[in-house]
Amino acid sequence: MSHAVASHPILDPTLAPPFPQAVLPVLRNPQLRKNVSHAIDVIQAKRAKLVAEKKDWQELRSAASAIRAHALENLGAYLEEFETRCTAAGGTVHWAADAADARRIILGLLREENASDVIKIKTMTSAEIQLNPFLEAAGVNVFETDLAEIILQLGDEEPSHIVVPALHINRSQVREIFARRMGLKDLSDDPHALTAAARTYLRQKFLKIPTAISGANFLIAETGGVAVVESEGNGRMCLTLPKTMITLAGIEKVLPRFQDLEVMLQVLARSATGERMNPYNSLWTGVTPGDGPQRFHVVLLDNGRSSILGKPKQRQTLKCIRCAACMNACPVYRQTGGHAYGSVYPGPIGAILTPQLMQMHHAQSLPFASSLCGACYEVCPVKINIPEVLLELRSQVVNQERKDFARFFDPMYLGLRVANLLFGSSRLFHASQRMGRIGLRFFTRKDGWIHSLPSVGGKWTQTRDLRGLPSQTFHEWWAARAAQTSPLSIKEAK
Amino acid sequence: MSTPAATPSQSRWIVLDRIRNATQSVAADPGQRADAYAALPRAYLRRGALSAEARIKLMIERLREYDAEVIESTPAALPAAIAAQLSASGKRTFVAPEGMPTAWLASGFDWKIDHNLTTAEVELAEGVVTAASCGVADSGTIVLHHSPAEGRRVLTLLPDWHLCILFASQVVETLPEYFDRCPKPPAIHPSDKDPSLGTPAIHPSDKDLSLGTPALATTISGPSATADIEMTRIKGVHGPRFLHVILVRDEI
Repeated sequence: MSHAVASHPILDPTLAPPFPQAVLPVLRNPQLRKNVSHAIDVIQAKRAKLVAEKKDWQELRSAASAIRAHALENLGAYLEEFETRCTAAGGTVHWAADAADARRIILGLLREENASDVIKIKTMTSAEIQLNPFLEAAGVNVFETDLAEIILQLGDEEPSHIVVPALHINRSQVREIFARRMGLKDLSDDPHALTAAARTYLRQKFLKIPTAISGANFLIAETGGVAVVESEGNGRMCLTLPKTMITLAGIEKVLPRFQDLEVMLQVLARSATGERMNPYNSLWTGVTPGDGPQRFHVVLLDNGRSSILGKPKQRQTLKCIRCAACMNACPVYRQTGGHAYGSVYPGPIGAILTPQLMQMHHAQSLPFASSLCGACYEVCPVKINIPEVLLELRSQVVNQERKDFARFFDPMYLGLRVANLLFGSSRLFHASQRMGRIGLRFFTRKDGWIHSLPSVGGKWTQTRDLRGLPSQTFHEWWAARAAQTSPLSIKEAK
Repeated sequence: MSTPAATPSQSRWIVLDRIRNATQSVAADPGQRADAYAALPRAYLRRGALSAEARIKLMIERLREYDAEVIESTPAALPAAIAAQLSASGKRTFVAPEGMPTAWLASGFDWKIDHNLTTAEVELAEGVVTAASCGVADSGTIVLHHSPAEGRRVLTLLPDWHLCILFASQVVETLPEYFDRCPKPPAIHPSDKDPSLGTPAIHPSDKDLSLGTPALATTISGPSATADIEMTRIKGVHGPRFLHVILVRDEI
């Protein structure tokens, strides 16, 4: 029981196995599935209640979607405006073309500060660029401060959700991790006691470590301000007590104006945690004398985002505000949890974002990890049409694969080429129907059903039966009927 | 490191160039960008429909849903109400923002006024008393702009007990109404830097409710909380575990 958190998933899309393979350990782990579905049920119920009470929910979604789309269409101008304002307010803006660039910039800043330790606010963007292992290898001790991130860091675990990253771990597993790593043998598994243990563990780190790293929920072009949305107060600690703050933000995070927060904050809190408002939002602009870090750096990260921006149908992916409503609503995620997606961005948004960030060189199985039911689109607060992007990416994957010589004899592509030939000619189509009837007769049981097929056909009959072909096709029946009856008498018979 | 290191200015140029290429068919030219922005659909609720009395009731109800303690008072009775709250807390050492009205400094307690207190000094305090900039009834949210009466951010962060004085005239019903009180900031020139653009209306006679766009803002919706362990909401992780609010009836 205490060792239920065992298998170590790979969240690097360049190394992770394809989704259908990666999902197997999860499907065989009933404890993990129970933890995930419990957490999802709680969030979903809270969200549904608070969205229902919001009479202007659809109007808020429309506004949020339009603001994000406008910001992306004019991204260059708004980023430059942000840079000007942030710099004027005492901040320093850095630009990173890719993950390696961002890691190098951040390590360089830490070296300037002579920082041997750094405290961090939860940021999925830093997980995307695998910042922690890089900094640890360079001799910097990284301390996560979000409760879920502490659980993951101390438990040597990987995030499985973007808002509640440790939702796959239950209280007794957290107790085991904390007792072992904090040396608290008598710790109970009451969430209050576990939370109190984390508070004590971190307090001195907040007070002593002078350098912090954060992500950003929003960058405000108009003011050069940065907004961080949180619940625990660890964010406020990191944003207030250290001397130096380094913020890593994707280039897509920019909003045109301060007032746009009136829309984004309303939809984000309800979508993410099912609250009218999350406990704390912090907004700061550059450096404020006497209050908070006196050195402030923003690292603007591209890492594949600009290539998504250039594709009209796919651009909407970047509207995402990382609320995770899509994964909470997804029937696939509910069964699999996040690890099977092989990326720090799981669920429906991960299924479209990850392969695109990988420029379609990796994670090609993810666009297929969906039933296309559309629940993600329905709940998305910025109206990302995820099924539309999934289909677009699927067609790209297929077009990539079918031109791949190594896949020439792949049964699926072979089958599709044959089907293409048959469906292209009525003569061949009818001939194939006759041949199929003869061929399948051997496998059809007396009850008229085929229960088992050999080879590729077995993939179908493994999980479901197939009805045997009837002795006459519709076309044959129609032709025979037309020969017997004149068109006029058909009309009369009606 | 697989890619050769680009110099900082190269990276800036590379990223902006990629963005410009990616958006050249959709980006509005500078003259039209403001028009395109102004034309964005905003059909959501801007103004609430509640009466002033119902708005205050809602604010109190929502604060209590977050486990915040709320009492009501009047401008005349406020100093006594503050003293009563401090006594009831059982605590002795409090910090106060530099600009807090002296009438709020109840006697009989150890006050540390924030004339640049060190973090360690603030950490030693058991509680803090501050003003606020705005209250949003719809979500039970208190907005701090960290003006002299609201204090630096650290004051409302380290002490475990926060008493916040909120005037009825500061309470709006919807979040957009708060933003309406923060009009567009003036154009910033490179040399321009005003850390506290807004001053809250802490005196009943001050009828100008305009706040200005804040350089610093913190919104508080109930005490610090987490639901990271099995989605069980736990009050009090790192911020103050106890939030008390005195709602001062200055306009009703």
